[in-house]
Amino acid sequence: MKRRTFIKNLTFTTGAIALSRFSFSQKEIKKVNSKLVILHTNDTHSQIEPFPANHSKFPGMGGVAKRQTIIQKIRRQEEHVLLLDSGDIFQGTPYFNTFNGELEMKLMSAMGYDASTMGNHDFDIGLEGFLNAKRFANFPFLCANYDFSETILKDQTQTFKVFEKAGLKIGVFGIGVELSGLVPNEKFGKTKYLDPIETANNIANELKSQRCDLIICLSHLGYEYADPLKISDRILAKQTENINLILGGHSHTFLDKPTIETNKKGNRVLINQVGWAGINLGRIDIDLERGLFVSKFVEIK
Amino acid sequence: MKLRIIIVLIAGAGLMACSSRLKVQSATNREAVSADTRQDSTLSSIIQPYKDSLDKRMNEVIGNSNNDFIVARPSSNLMNWVADAIFVNQTRNVRLAQPLICLLNTGGIRSSIGKGNITLGDIYKIMPFENTVVWVELPVSSIPEIESYLVKSGGEPLANCKLEKGKLVINGMRENTTHIWVLTSDYLMNGGDKMDFFKKKTNFNSTGKLIRDILIEEVKVQGTLSENGELRITN
Repeated sequence: MKRRTFIKNLTFTTGAIALSRFSFSQKEIKKVNSKLVILHTNDTHSQIEPFPANHSKFPGMGGVAKRQTIIQKIRRQEEHVLLLDSGDIFQGTPYFNTFNGELEMKLMSAMGYDASTMGNHDFDIGLEGFLNAKRFANFPFLCANYDFSETILKDQTQTFKVFEKAGLKIGVFGIGVELSGLVPNEKFGKTKYLDPIETANNIANELKSQRCDLIICLSHLGYEYADPLKISDRILAKQTENINLILGGHSHTFLDKPTIETNKKGNRVLINQVGWAGINLGRIDIDLERGLFVSKFVEIK
Repeated sequence: MKLRIIIVLIAGAGLMACSSRLKVQSATNREAVSADTRQDSTLSSIIQPYKDSLDKRMNEVIGNSNNDFIVARPSSNLMNWVADAIFVNQTRNVRLAQPLICLLNTGGIRSSIGKGNITLGDIYKIMPFENTVVWVELPVSSIPEIESYLVKSGGEPLANCKLEKGKLVINGMRENTTHIWVLTSDYLMNGGDKMDFFKKKTNFNSTGKLIRDILIEEVKVQGTLSENGELRITN
């Protein structure tokens, strides 16, 4: 029996808060399993332990063991959880400088991350350093616009991955920031940078043609910039088709609620980003039975 | 504490023949997890051996000092030491075609060094940030802006130059010099601390080297910290 669930984030009504709309075939709703919970982080920057109690901005906050307590609690409550990261796992504490990313990967694996993309800092110990750390990861790295074919990372990353959760087909892919100028050339070697918009469009279209119900882009482009021409998540959302949700990073932006943009087709795209250092765990709930799209984030204090 | 804002909008019914009437909802939900949120024991046990090893590493003695090295405007022995360390580190085996100075930010040196042993952890305390060293080329026309910035701020770490009565005296300046190079941090070059004169850069070169790593290297080279307490900013 073929499941047919339509998610069409289409028209939006009025009002101060712009929102996505998901619609489901009425007949099929009953078959769909309740709720999909998308948990996400970005720019965790090797913040293994909580910030010190006397920290000026984030006293006692963050820390992966606390994050895991919250993730576990949510996993006990929710059947269908997708846990994603938008890059810059590395760099920020002596744990990284000392253990070269091994611990970060082990912990993310233990937390059950489903996928991540690479941020610019994930190149900080070179491609070889990343590859060494990646040996401790049991989840895929999704990088659609870094062409690693002439490097040692050839075949070590995927452009996208399709997950099946809650009766939905969920296509996830990753889009990275341009490395030139951000990362010393010798660190990324022969990595080729592909146009983020064009690549994102191609991959999203491909996922659409594979009948994905939900298409998620893990982006490390940054939320938005003063320079209107600099590619950001807001521009990515506006200039592409078929992406439903952008989980961003790089700019360390604390969003109180997700931003809604309108894509090229006139459909709504949700953008979320949750600061940095694992202070927050981003959470977006998709209530499949009622067609609700609920976003929230959990602060790890 | 739970704060929840829910806005529910009813989307136009009958937009699509086969679709149900949809509610569209967005919510911001901050679940404040108190400072004593339990740490997951499985993860803590993965972390513990790394933490023990790291703590041990941070206690490693990498050098010593005969004096207290402190941060104090307009200039101080620690400000001079940090700027000199970067300058020396970056100019070993380098022949300079143009004048080169080092200019950092006082606020970026986060601690002092006490008399006695210096541990790796001490250097992490001085420089917790992940800033890297960059070489920035500036036209000489930007020098007055650097001068007024230094006068206004009251002093930043400098090497290979001095600010005397508001004028920058740079070693190696010649009459026909058109550009100088500045060793600084990526943070400052990219607009940190509003050093706007870096916007006029004509060229730059990222080393990718952490300032902290350079300081560690130089402590090891020196063994006992060489002190230079000269005032590099004078009225």
